[in-house]
Amino acid sequence: MEGLIFSVKRYSVHDGPGIRVTFFMKGCPLSCRWCHNPEGISSLPEKTSRTNRVGGKSFIKEEEVGKYYTVDDILEICEKERLFTDRSGGGVTFSGGEPVMQPEFLLAALKALKKKGFNTAVDTSGYSPEKNFREILPYTDLFLFDLKHLSDDRHIELTGVSNRLILENFRLLAREAEAVMIRIPVIPGMNDDEGHLMKLRDYITSVNTGNIKKINLLPYHKIGSSKYRRFNMEWKMEGVEPPAGEKMKQMKEYFSQTGIKVKIGG
Amino acid sequence: MILSERVKKLREQSLNAKETMSAERALLMTQFYKSDEARELSAPVRRAKAFEYLLKNKKICINDGELIVGERGPAPKATPTYPEISLHSMNDLEVLNSREKVSFKVDEEVKAIYAKEVIPYWTGKSNRDRLMSNMTSEWILAYDAGIFTEFQEQRAPGHTVLGYKMFRTGFHDLKKEIRKAIDRLDYFTDPQAFERQEELKAMDIACNAIIMYANRHACELEKLAARELNDKRKKELLKMAMVCRKVPAHAPETVHEMLQHYWFIHLGVITELNPWDSFNPGRLDQHLYPVYMKETEAGTLDEEKLWDLLGCFWVKFNNHPSPPKMGVTANESSTYTDFCLINLGGVKADGTDAVNEMSYILLDVIREMRLLQPGSMVQISKKNPDSYIHRALDIIKTGFGQPSCFNTEAIISELLRQGKNITDARNGGTSGCVETGAFGTEAYWLTGYFNLPKILELTLYNGFDKRTGRQVGPETGYAADHKSFDELMTAFQLQVRYFADIKIRGNNVIEKLFATWLPVPFLSLLVEDCIYNGKDYNSGGARYNTSYIQGVGLGSITDMLTSIRYNIYEQKKFTWQQLINALESDFAGYENIQHDLIYETPKYGNDDDYADQQAVAVFEIYYDSVNGRPNTRGGVHRINMLPTTSHVYFGSVTGATPDGRNSRLPLSEGISPFQGADHRGPTSVIKSASKIDHLRTGGTLLNQKFSPSFFEDEDSYSNLTALIRSYFSLDGHHIQFNVVNADTLRDAQKHPERYRDLIVRVAGYSDYFNDLGEDLQNEIIQRTEHEEA
Repeated sequence: MEGLIFSVKRYSVHDGPGIRVTFFMKGCPLSCRWCHNPEGISSLPEKTSRTNRVGGKSFIKEEEVGKYYTVDDILEICEKERLFTDRSGGGVTFSGGEPVMQPEFLLAALKALKKKGFNTAVDTSGYSPEKNFREILPYTDLFLFDLKHLSDDRHIELTGVSNRLILENFRLLAREAEAVMIRIPVIPGMNDDEGHLMKLRDYITSVNTGNIKKINLLPYHKIGSSKYRRFNMEWKMEGVEPPAGEKMKQMKEYFSQTGIKVKIGG
Repeated sequence: MILSERVKKLREQSLNAKETMSAERALLMTQFYKSDEARELSAPVRRAKAFEYLLKNKKICINDGELIVGERGPAPKATPTYPEISLHSMNDLEVLNSREKVSFKVDEEVKAIYAKEVIPYWTGKSNRDRLMSNMTSEWILAYDAGIFTEFQEQRAPGHTVLGYKMFRTGFHDLKKEIRKAIDRLDYFTDPQAFERQEELKAMDIACNAIIMYANRHACELEKLAARELNDKRKKELLKMAMVCRKVPAHAPETVHEMLQHYWFIHLGVITELNPWDSFNPGRLDQHLYPVYMKETEAGTLDEEKLWDLLGCFWVKFNNHPSPPKMGVTANESSTYTDFCLINLGGVKADGTDAVNEMSYILLDVIREMRLLQPGSMVQISKKNPDSYIHRALDIIKTGFGQPSCFNTEAIISELLRQGKNITDARNGGTSGCVETGAFGTEAYWLTGYFNLPKILELTLYNGFDKRTGRQVGPETGYAADHKSFDELMTAFQLQVRYFADIKIRGNNVIEKLFATWLPVPFLSLLVEDCIYNGKDYNSGGARYNTSYIQGVGLGSITDMLTSIRYNIYEQKKFTWQQLINALESDFAGYENIQHDLIYETPKYGNDDDYADQQAVAVFEIYYDSVNGRPNTRGGVHRINMLPTTSHVYFGSVTGATPDGRNSRLPLSEGISPFQGADHRGPTSVIKSASKIDHLRTGGTLLNQKFSPSFFEDEDSYSNLTALIRSYFSLDGHHIQFNVVNADTLRDAQKHPERYRDLIVRVAGYSDYFNDLGEDLQNEIIQRTEHEEA
């Protein structure tokens, strides 16, 4: 069994506690306008090219984005980082893309990692059949769960999918998961209006059973824009600027009213 | 705590003072050596008398507002020369005056003194002349080819640090010790009794000289006090005079006395000769803590006064640039910094956690003073608390490259392996860039950098150097003669061994030159057991005597060998002829080969055993060639892995290399990966770097550049702390962080005037960005960019 992964990040310090290894799994059912990992959307390996400059000459090299890894490959990479993950209270995170879109591989990898004593985290959009979440629950120490918009219409408009399944899964995890961290991308003009924020705050408060450990407010950034050019994809965020620091601070105060720890950034 | 107006002003004056060359010392030294008296004395006594003559006749400089007094030259940053070590020519003076980087203003008066007095007397008599004429032709060939550098060419042997004893001892106490040692001399059975007598006599003269020098300051302070109209300053001046009458004659008992005591000692060492790494107060938090506590309890020292004293002390170091160098020596260490490295934290002599209140106070002083000198480091023991590391990270984050982080347990293991006793090992630390030493008891001499990548270049050409056009090494075959990678490694090993032999033979002669002509009776007073043995620091009088040769370019040599193994012998991507052609053309027309060497070949720094195996192999070859081989001082040679700025010089003499590096560009520095070769982040760099056995060295240097984003909050501090502690659990010796972004640096290159205080970590030490050569600036920018990507 193999999983399709488009990037492995070591010394990953923004995808859960401590120093982690993060595997970015390829394939996502959502197509968020602001997505900064557009190479993670398609569930097939993609060809792209990279230009290396050497001595005034350019070399265009074909590169495959997305490689297949076995569970043993995953373990081998993580074992090399164990010293750092153990000492820092870190572990291993599966992100993406949408990791739960490769449920069998994800389950097998999580089981194997737990057996070896690694702390595990899954960073998910929540868009996957409930059964998949139930299966990985026992082997996942932490879910990083994205909440993007509470209005179903608006959610469809911004991400291409309904939020109904997402919110059901969120309630399931808020009830049964060991720990959950909510990640809210803050996208100016899309989900940052006062009315929506108020609803989101109240929603989180109503669902929380005590296992929601943190809310991360992730300010929109433009780092992904160059990737759109590289992958010949349409950049839909022209003219949108990152939210101001002041605005983020206000939002932080706002969400702190849930009683949950709030952090700006990952 | 913020700096007082007094300290701010002194700090600003120090930053703005221009480095100048002073002829005062050279002239006094010439006068003394010309005197009849000088000719009639034994070498140690002659040197002691010369020292006394200098301290008796040099100008006393007391700056407005300062609390700690004493300057090596007649004014701050007025830097003396040492003609008995190396003689500057008129042309050198012109170069020093006009060169863009690390220049020294040389005025007409200095030039006149040099032309009329100094040059006529010293021509042919300096130690540099003596040294060069004593080296073999093989040595000269290798030196000219850039295989190694020679530390003692323009400076005296250094690398020693003041230990516990001297912070509790006055020079009158030392005079008693000398008396006892003289009384103990056994003229019946010890054939060296007379030599010892002369050395001890010289030491006694040096004691008197430093006490006299302190008293001259006291007199001057009293004179100033008599003229002073401001009551407060008048009192201060009288207080300072009292301190100078007490120390260093007697043991210091207050913070003020301890700092002044050390500073006179420091001045003594750097006036007597110009030892590498000026001199160093070492474990300053440990030394100051007891007197600080005593004074705090007695109510004689408030925070404001403490900060004023420490601020004034810090400025003193910054007033003293390293002496003006020329030629290769200027290239190998292109900087004003004179490598004082204040040690904090670690463990006490009994092995317990040494972090105390003074450690935190000094960290605050380092942050607020933000000066190039003195440099600072934190020793990090497994017993030291995380909060101490977090406080250090708070300063590191501001991007001036201080303090650097050292592994106390590694330092202790290194020292124990070398045979030091446990107390001396725990009281040790590092000095210079990263060099391990037993403070107060060891003379550990660095002798020169060793260009490992260049030796591989020679190995490919049967020992022939293309650049100088000479047969420099033994004939071990041409590249294509080696049928396997192992055969090539055997040839490389023979070459390394050959050049190590040449270097060690040279070292053993140079040591004798210093022992014979240039003893250092003053420095010998400070390092145990020179008095007890009646033997000079330069002749093996210290308890431990080590000679180091510093390996350079581990990342480069590893990538070169890995590339050969991978591309030639295993994947057979190119033939030797193709690769050699590409190298000889500096890749012009062979960009496709260069591309594959850079982008399609495994590299050191990515926790990839395939590449890292070559790092271990080179380390072992180098270690076997040097470690344990006797010096002339009763000790042995050992290795460490650090470059200062020699990786730039060594790169400039090395052609294009099989790792895809273009001709003349800098090599990798320390044990860091080649610039841009690591692409898996800091954990992989750490894993690669810890595959060599740090504990069998006397120090390694690992430089990691971080963008400020890695330091944004408490969580990131905890992660960095875990990163450091992980490296140290793998026996890593040292890691330093440079926090800076490339745009800032580029702007600084364009507008140097706006960045007068921009300090970056170069390699084992920090320097003003403006003072770095353009190539080194570019290298740092490139590394920074790579990190940001």
